Amino acid sequence: MARIRLESVGKRYPNGFVALEELSLEIADREFVVLLGPSGCGKSTTLNLIAGLEDVTAGSLYFDSTLMNVVPAHKRDVAMVFQSYALYPHKSVYENIAFGLRMRGHPRAEIESRVKDAARSLEIEPLLERRPHQLSGGQRQRVALGRALVRQPAAFLMDEPLSNLDAALRIAMRAEIKKLHHTMRTTFVYVTHDQAEALTLADRIVVMREGVIQQIGSPEEIYDRPRNTFVASFLGNPPINYLEGTLAADGARFVRGGLSLALPPELSKKIGAENGRQVRLGIRAEDVDPRGTGETLQGRISSVLPVGSDQFLGVEVEGTTLFFRVGRELRAAEGENVALSVNMNRAQIFDSSSGASLLWK
Amino acid sequence: MKGLGRNVLLFTASALFLVYVLAPVAWLVSSSVQQEAEITSRPPHWIPRQPTLENFEAIFQAKEKKVTYETRRAGDPATGGYIPSTARDLVPSMWNSLIVAVSVVVLNLLVAVPAAYAMAKIRYIGRSTSIYFMLTTRVIPDIALVVPFFLFIRTFGLLDHLGSLVITYLAITIPFSVFILVGYFESLPDELDKAARVDGCSRLQTLLRVYVPLAMPSLVAVVLFTFLTSWNEFLLALMFTQTPASQTMPIVVASFASDFTISFSFINAAGVLAVVPPVLMAVVFERYIVSGLTAGAVKG
Repeated sequence: MARIRLESVGKRYPNGFVALEELSLEIADREFVVLLGPSGCGKSTTLNLIAGLEDVTAGSLYFDSTLMNVVPAHKRDVAMVFQSYALYPHKSVYENIAFGLRMRGHPRAEIESRVKDAARSLEIEPLLERRPHQLSGGQRQRVALGRALVRQPAAFLMDEPLSNLDAALRIAMRAEIKKLHHTMRTTFVYVTHDQAEALTLADRIVVMREGVIQQIGSPEEIYDRPRNTFVASFLGNPPINYLEGTLAADGARFVRGGLSLALPPELSKKIGAENGRQVRLGIRAEDVDPRGTGETLQGRISSVLPVGSDQFLGVEVEGTTLFFRVGRELRAAEGENVALSVNMNRAQIFDSSSGASLLWK
Repeated sequence: MKGLGRNVLLFTASALFLVYVLAPVAWLVSSSVQQEAEITSRPPHWIPRQPTLENFEAIFQAKEKKVTYETRRAGDPATGGYIPSTARDLVPSMWNSLIVAVSVVVLNLLVAVPAAYAMAKIRYIGRSTSIYFMLTTRVIPDIALVVPFFLFIRTFGLLDHLGSLVITYLAITIPFSVFILVGYFESLPDELDKAARVDGCSRLQTLLRVYVPLAMPSLVAVVLFTFLTSWNEFLLALMFTQTPASQTMPIVVASFASDFTISFSFINAAGVLAVVPPVLMAVVFERYIVSGLTAGAVKG
């Protein structure tokens, strides 16, 4: 059990590259925190710093109230699962799982019962005598999980553990990891670039970009109240649509060319009256309804992409193409005109130049 | 038919190559059990008519044999080819060679393995520079190093001492050993290193428990390379050793050839003995050799 606290933590490499600058984050005991961001955003570096695999070059890292900056990795009670699984190729599955316990000097009988228990809970008991190269990707993934959970560590660190699995297996493993978090009752820090994983698994999501935290919050907060265009764009499938335009009527309307949309009073109150301000209107792909009333977007359908349960529509509105997700019941064909009503209560407004949200701070 | 022609060509070529490579060795072995008269016969006898172990006996019994000008013919009565008085140094020199080679192999591993691991897996300032700097030392021909080495060895009072050979051979073999091992360690994923450390291994334990077992093929290549280099080295040994107390096998064997009345079959018998230890090692490690020499080159 551990509370992990990063205080203005920085990481600068000898070649001058700054991977993290002044990162502050507190992870509660037993919390499931997902670090989310594109590659190179510093999320894996953060995880390595917590594990002690890389040295903190500025700030402080605490487990509970103990300063961990200079404690070497093998003396921190954390377990880690890697994208490539990093199983020891020369050891059997049993030895792979037992290795961490052996290194910590547990008695032989205890090691055996704990390895067996872990193998049973992950359904890899029949594989214990095999070598990693004789396993499928999914089985290797389970062994890697087993190697981590058998130690019952204070914190569980995962670096893109599902990225090498195929899509169906990935969704099944997500559920297992979530179950694991419930049964293990320990702190999980999980790194991914996959927004769906973050949204399904996390108690809290930390969105990162170029070594700087963009936003910390529950999946709902991150999705519904993004603080800037980066966060808004990173979550959602298809991604959020943007329309550049200006504010009018004391912040009550959004205008772009011939398009004029009324903003609900709650939103315009937050923005404050500022006519003529350049803003970016964000509309999530699912926040339109072909049958609704109220504020509507008129456009010409440029593409129809059925995705089974739904269909994605590309719609040309005022010179840009927006992508929406609508139900299959809408009979849509390329080249037709369509009118979609927009749920303006869920609209996002960002400053055009900085990308910062005018609604959520 | 095209495939058959290709096979015939490849077979012929490899057979020719084998003959080219192995014929001298075969002649060495064959002539070592021939009489001096047979060895000089024309055409040469590849298969000895009257095989004899006299030469080997002479080597192993040389200690007891008092060889003087008067008794020199006793070495090989058939022709008068003579067994040199230094023959009795041959067996001790084999021990010297073995001691030097084994010491160099062990010390070389103790230095090269941790050094290669550090260079491959720990990021520090000057990492790549140090690798290239080390390799650069091997660009200098050994002959250019003889004088500085000699002065160094003399200053430390190690002339005519096996220690002089161990030290200089290490200087020659370590850079190349590190280079082979760095390549191999780099080909092993960094995540293995991380996994081991999170699992509770210190850096040293990570090296010994994860990397060393995985690097076996490369380690065998390094062991063979250092052993053979030390076993065969001539130039430095010639400079630094002066008495049988520290002379190695190549020096003693070479010294046999200094007399024109020397028995060729005797020299060849000594040559056979010199070849035995490396061949034994190669046979034992054979299955690792090829993978070890190529493993470092292909990144995983």
